[in-house]
Amino acid sequence: MTLLSKAITALGGLLLGHACYSAREHTTLLSLRAATAATLTSSPTAAGSLPLDIIIETIVSTFIILVGLVLGTRPLRPIEWRVWAGKIEREGEEGFTDSSGAVDKDFVGNPFSLLEARPNFVDIRKQRRDFSEWVRKGDAQRAQ
Amino acid sequence: MPSEQELQISPIVQESVMHNSRTLYNLQSLTASLFGVSAGILGLESYSGFLFYLVFSLLTAVLVYVLRVAPTSLAGGKPPLDTSRYFRSPFEFWTGGLMNGLAGYILTWTLFYGLVRA
Repeated sequence: MTLLSKAITALGGLLLGHACYSAREHTTLLSLRAATAATLTSSPTAAGSLPLDIIIETIVSTFIILVGLVLGTRPLRPIEWRVWAGKIEREGEEGFTDSSGAVDKDFVGNPFSLLEARPNFVDIRKQRRDFSEWVRKGDAQRAQ
Repeated sequence: MPSEQELQISPIVQESVMHNSRTLYNLQSLTASLFGVSAGILGLESYSGFLFYLVFSLLTAVLVYVLRVAPTSLAGGKPPLDTSRYFRSPFEFWTGGLMNGLAGYILTWTLFYGLVRA
């Protein structure tokens, strides 16, 4: 995604630079012609408008850069608490990465983790089973 | 603006609000300078320059809506052109860019006008 947006922005920038250079050359040429004409006849300098292709190129390149920049913005986050918490529950860290794939610095994690880690709700039998499993495995390894 | 009762029923995550408006603000100030560049190249003057800015900042809002807001917002059951999933007020989203980027726009507009037409 980020490579795509950078490529689009670079393409648009190239076009915009070309349009800028063309417009500069056009006005320079026009003022030069006006200056030479002024020496012959004392007519005022013609305020020339740009050719149609430069205008089209400028507008199209602006639009291309705009699309690239919008594609490169960081993903938005839901502002309603229930939507936001649901997104965290469903997607975890993957839902809160920036455009380069790293997890955002201000990602706070599951807002309900405090509730889920309450001591009253600890499954003590499961923990005891896990612990005895671990002890038995350690004994078996030492016996070998 | 939602009433206090509605805020109690469906609370708002303050960090998400800040993150979204900062993202939008960064994009708007960046694109405003870009529009200034192209307006300067086109050699726009007075009202047509401001009209150009108006049109392109509305276009930015539409593009952000289409590319960033709409895919999840429509899937979440919101009506079209509704940004309440990500922004508190629709005015902030649709017209906030007009004020945020105006200074940068005029700066680059005059600069490039001078560079190209000098």
